[in-house]
Amino acid sequence: MILLETENRVIYDTLNYKFEVAQSGGKQDSIEVTVADFDGAVYHLSNPDGDKTKIRVSIGLKFYKDLQDHGADELLRREYGAYYQATAEDGFSVTLVYDLTSVAKDYKPIAKKASLLKRNCFASVFEKYFEAQAKGEVGKRAVIHYRDDETMYVESKKDRVTVIFSTVFKDESDVTFGKVFMQEFKESRRRSQTAPQVLYNHKEPPMELSGLDAAVGDNIGYVTFVLFPRHTGPNVRDNTIDLIHTFRNYLHYHIKCSKAYMHQRMRAKTSDFLKVLNRARPEDKNKEKKTMSGKSFQAR
Amino acid sequence: MSTTLRPYLNAVRATLNASMCLENFNSQVVERHVKPEVEVKTSKELLLTPLVIARNEKEKVLIESSINSIRVSIAVKQADEIEQILCQKFMRFMMMRAENFVVLRRKPVEGYDISFLITNIHTEQMLKHKLVDFVIHFMEEIDKEISEMKLSVNARARIVAEEFLKKF
Amino acid sequence: MGEVFNFGVHPISCHSWNHDRTQIALSPNSNDVLIYKKSGKKWDHIHTLSEHTLKVTDIDWAPKTNRIVTCGADRNAYVWQLTNGEWVQELVILRINRAATYVRWSPQEDKFAVGSSSRMISVCYFESDNNWWVSKHIKKPIRSTIVSLDWHPNNILLAAGCCDYKAYVFSAYIKEINPKPGPTVWGKKMTFGCLMQEFVMPCTGWVHGIAFSNSGDCLAMVSHGSVLSVAKGGGELTSIRTEFLPFNDCVWFGENSIIAGGHDCNPVLFKVEGDCSKVAFANKLDQPPKGGGGGKAVSAMNMFKMMDKKGTVEATSTDLTTKHKNAIIQVCVYGPHQFSTCGKDGNVVVWDNKSLEASIAGLRIN
Repeated sequence: MILLETENRVIYDTLNYKFEVAQSGGKQDSIEVTVADFDGAVYHLSNPDGDKTKIRVSIGLKFYKDLQDHGADELLRREYGAYYQATAEDGFSVTLVYDLTSVAKDYKPIAKKASLLKRNCFASVFEKYFEAQAKGEVGKRAVIHYRDDETMYVESKKDRVTVIFSTVFKDESDVTFGKVFMQEFKESRRRSQTAPQVLYNHKEPPMELSGLDAAVGDNIGYVTFVLFPRHTGPNVRDNTIDLIHTFRNYLHYHIKCSKAYMHQRMRAKTSDFLKVLNRARPEDKNKEKKTMSGKSFQAR
Repeated sequence: MSTTLRPYLNAVRATLNASMCLENFNSQVVERHVKPEVEVKTSKELLLTPLVIARNEKEKVLIESSINSIRVSIAVKQADEIEQILCQKFMRFMMMRAENFVVLRRKPVEGYDISFLITNIHTEQMLKHKLVDFVIHFMEEIDKEISEMKLSVNARARIVAEEFLKKF
Repeated sequence: MGEVFNFGVHPISCHSWNHDRTQIALSPNSNDVLIYKKSGKKWDHIHTLSEHTLKVTDIDWAPKTNRIVTCGADRNAYVWQLTNGEWVQELVILRINRAATYVRWSPQEDKFAVGSSSRMISVCYFESDNNWWVSKHIKKPIRSTIVSLDWHPNNILLAAGCCDYKAYVFSAYIKEINPKPGPTVWGKKMTFGCLMQEFVMPCTGWVHGIAFSNSGDCLAMVSHGSVLSVAKGGGELTSIRTEFLPFNDCVWFGENSIIAGGHDCNPVLFKVEGDCSKVAFANKLDQPPKGGGGGKAVSAMNMFKMMDKKGTVEATSTDLTTKHKNAIIQVCVYGPHQFSTCGKDGNVVVWDNKSLEASIAGLRIN
């Protein structure tokens, strides 16, 4: 798996199962599941008021307030229609409720859509700016604090939309790994004509963010995507959103994978070294395992 | 293998061979104890002159010997940041397993990446020429391993970037 | 050539033979002394002497009086006597506060000398009034651990190799038990502890081994700089720097041959000429058997073994062809024409000079 999935697999599978049972007229069990996702998202699957014929899907996002400013509520209402609840479950940002007594025949797209809930929350801000850019408006910069100490900036200009991520590398070595990865992103872009321009700034925020008191530090990196109309047009828009909003997780996921792989290699090499060292022990030789009297030699 | 590595390793091998002539030696300072003299450095007459074999500024070996123990410290090639990190991680990984390695020192001597402490007890339990082989093998492999790891990080980064950008 | 006896994988830190070489006392680098008796080709373990609480550092078996003296890192020495088939020990009052490192009976077996890490030599003798082994100390001018000792055949002089890069010849004349000695090449005045001569090693090496020649006029020393030095009493030191690894011990055969063994795992013969004014390397004594035909097949097999185990074809430096697979620790005279070596590989090898001479062209050990 190189690319991350945009949807949440647990939500998708659970809903599919529920819908399937509903359709075949089986007995519904009660459900109470909490699922974590990227960007600190928490999903909660439950039966509203213990009613087993209904299933409630809620998402909690710390930065939902930021998104609301950019029309998240409207977008979600548009996307989910009747399933969208005007008031979210206590402690969560958005709630969808599905009635299991009247499941549509083709339920898979519904489940799919539900599993894209987080992505759709993010989509609002992108759609708004893509739209603005298409109209040629220069909007105010959007600032989304998508993680505790990491921020996303979206801005539309006359001919482009720039998306800037600030990301924190917890480990000193991650900084270096991050640099290697970003270097490749820059270079790959040359090979792929359709790809957006990718810029990387380490320690200091890029010029666009001057005056925004963006975080500065050894372990902070800024990734800028410059999206042109060919990326933000109505027919490619969804794809772009899918990719962009997972980018930060994608990068960190692969840094972690690299480190895990390194670890595995080191482990293998270390045991290899140990074997070589053990070869120095004369006990290895069968011949010397016996003492003079023919008794087996016991290492103390 | 590059042309300078062979003579470098040969020099290290010859030196180790000569300096690993250890014998049991009871401490002159502490009653009923045996101490690695190269570490405690309490009797000057029991120490030999330390020497450094260097391939270049960054790659070198410090060999300190004494009557019952020798300390071999290795500085591993680190061409760039990523190699530095890989080396550091790898050495830390190994040193955390020092008890399995018996001859590995838990901390490297200052200025070096990894140190081995070989005492007469090790040369009694293990065949000396194979211990020398081990140190040489280690030096050969560590460079190779680090550059391979570096390549694999780069390869992964390239694929990751290409796959992502291709989707646009 | 050499007959190899293996006693397990532990190093043999020291060994000593009884008078007719039917029994051997050795320490497998532990607190115990093991005595083996020869039966045919095999060695049967017959006694264990366990009294030391730390590693046994040396053993000497007196041929005439059949007494064994052992010393250890626990600062003690014991004299063992065989009574009713059991070895019974007597403690010796060494009066040292660090490890005892080396012990040797004097030729007449009326006293023995113990070297120690407390920078002194204890010369011990039996005080019959008190029924007690007592000791006298030689302290000056020793500045480090004594690692080797040898007695002069006159029962009075004692040579000591020290870690302060020096070798000493002392008088160990004990007037209570010894008759007044006559003069030797080493000097006339022989009060106890008198320093007869002192030799400073070239290449500042620890003196691992020291030995008087049969006449007692010459002294041979091996030191850590891979050097063999010889000197005649009262004369200058003559040294040869060898290309080998350092030697651990040496013995004389006659007045002209010295055999030294050490970290090269191979005993080496040196020839001395002109009253110790010349010393030269003669031969390595452990020659690999000259096998022509079979060698190739074995090495091909070895090659695949190496490829399997190590992933390399370079099998060159991995296996030693010598009988000892690790350093030789001690060399002992075994008989008039034989000597024995013990090593860190757990082997004791008995070498016969006659068959060595037969197998190596031009070799004379005399």
